[in-house]
Amino acid sequence: MAPEQPELLKDLGAEDVQQVLAIGTRIALRSGASLFQLGDPAERLFLIERGRIRLTLPMQVRGRQEDVVVEERTAGQTVGWSALIPPHMFTLAATAPLDTELIALPREELRRYFAAHPTVGYQITLNLAVVIGHRLQLFQAMWLREMQRTVEKHSA
Amino acid sequence: MEMLLMAVCLSMFGLAVTAMAFGAATRPDKSSAPAQPELRPAKALAPARFFADHAAPSQSPGMRVPTEVLLAQIENHVRLEQAAAQSFLESPSHAQLHTKTTSALVN
Repeated sequence: MAPEQPELLKDLGAEDVQQVLAIGTRIALRSGASLFQLGDPAERLFLIERGRIRLTLPMQVRGRQEDVVVEERTAGQTVGWSALIPPHMFTLAATAPLDTELIALPREELRRYFAAHPTVGYQITLNLAVVIGHRLQLFQAMWLREMQRTVEKHSA
Repeated sequence: MEMLLMAVCLSMFGLAVTAMAFGAATRPDKSSAPAQPELRPAKALAPARFFADHAAPSQSPGMRVPTEVLLAQIENHVRLEQAAAQSFLESPSHAQLHTKTTSALVN
């Protein structure tokens, strides 16, 4: 794993961490490989063990669709939390810009584990809320900055 | 004596040339006077050009930039904006939220 505890498993005991990780399966992506596409069903949550994942959104650039990087996630971080949030569809595309290893945690197995271990489920849900909350705040600030520029441009 | 006279003549000639050049540079251009009213319609047409820019993006200056460069600028812009947003989240304030960007995409 990454030198530090993965953000999703923060503040869990070592035994709980091992049990949660045992639910998952290890995935190796070659450089340039796709992890998921926008609109795909989100059945699994991913913990990046090594490497990097680029999250992109499609943008029309000069009449051509281009994938524009909106975020990069590195070892220890979580990707694909849409797996736990309805309607369970990925809202971004994810690719590996270099050889990357991840642990894929299937949603249904996670739910069953949370039901059997509510304390662990609660902690992971809190950790997930931090990840989602941070993304929300970040993009809210970015959106407001863009809006400010638009307002300045049109009121000049 | 002859050398002195020659130097004086050359100096006078140089002074005359300089004075003529200065006069030409500072003289009001009579031909520009009728051009002044022509500026008004140009200003009046400015909003129309603004909308025309949207209708004809092929004439925007951004088209001169190769697509690869434009994509790199977009990516760099996103990184800069994320860094700016991150700074705002670490220390929320109005000033932090609206710091100016150095992104080539918007400057």
